[in-house]
Amino acid sequence: MSTDREILQLYREGGREQAFRLLVQTYKERLYWHIRRMVLDHDDADDCLQNTFLKAWRSLENFRGDAQLYTWLYRIATNETLTFLTRQQTRGEYAGLDAADRLPSDSWFDGDEVQTVLHQAIAKLPPKQKAVFLLRYFEEMPYEKIAQVLETSEGALKASYHHAYEKVKTWMKASLEAKY
Amino acid sequence: MQSKKRMNERMDIDFDRIKTDNPFRIPEGYLASFEDRLMARIAAEEAEASQEKRPRPVWRILKPALTLAAMFALIFGMGYGVLSLTHTLDRGAGTAAEGYASAEEELIRPISLINYYQSDNPVEESTELDEETLIDYLATELSFADLAEIYAQLY
Repeated sequence: MSTDREILQLYREGGREQAFRLLVQTYKERLYWHIRRMVLDHDDADDCLQNTFLKAWRSLENFRGDAQLYTWLYRIATNETLTFLTRQQTRGEYAGLDAADRLPSDSWFDGDEVQTVLHQAIAKLPPKQKAVFLLRYFEEMPYEKIAQVLETSEGALKASYHHAYEKVKTWMKASLEAKY
Repeated sequence: MQSKKRMNERMDIDFDRIKTDNPFRIPEGYLASFEDRLMARIAAEEAEASQEKRPRPVWRILKPALTLAAMFALIFGMGYGVLSLTHTLDRGAGTAAEGYASAEEELIRPISLINYYQSDNPVEESTELDEETLIDYLATELSFADLAEIYAQLY
């Protein structure tokens, strides 16, 4: 794995494509899982991930280096995925919820009952709150970093995460109670 | 009873465990082939973008201006043609009128009048006749009936 500094140095020395390939190799997996947990469906995650790196390719020359590549890429990926979810929502097909409903029959999902209920509960969160919850809960990203990714204050993020966590717990309990 | 027990087990959600077990799977080789697919897409989009940016041939750029110029030339030509035709007709009409007037003048030229009534002894066409001579001639040589006939011919 290459560091951000190595990638940027290679890029500035003229190895544009090579540097970009290194960037993709370094971050594709982490970004894929971040996106996948937001959209749930593999094909949608693939689209969003490709769009994320496409945007990164186009704007890498303008990257000023005042943030880490990691934060910068997470910001692009999160915005790209939020845009995707919003677009689906305005079209009347709430992608998150539809994909959540399809989870038990999704061939690329092996989760047990609790995991299914957990992701169905997360899918009910408003898009931005969902991003906060996923970054904190699954990736254990520090609030400081989440604030940089989502360009929000740490205080607002903490409150948002707390609300999201409580909602998810309540929905999960309600869902499991209804089943038994 | 067993169901209640299962429910209680489920209610005791171990949030630390469920977040570490990843229930999602990805198609085999997906991540390994991702870069190549991505780079192919980038290359295709850049080729498309450069196709759109390719400069257009000069004639294509000039085509609208040339069309406009041709239309102006056509309108100008048509206008000029119409104006020329009208002007020629006016001029023709003028020439005919002038010819008619000169014939009248010819008719009433004093020497012509004299020679008309004095055909046996015509006066030289180049002879200069002043007004007084003419009046004398008309008064002495022509009868009242001749003068009335001349007047009737002229007016």
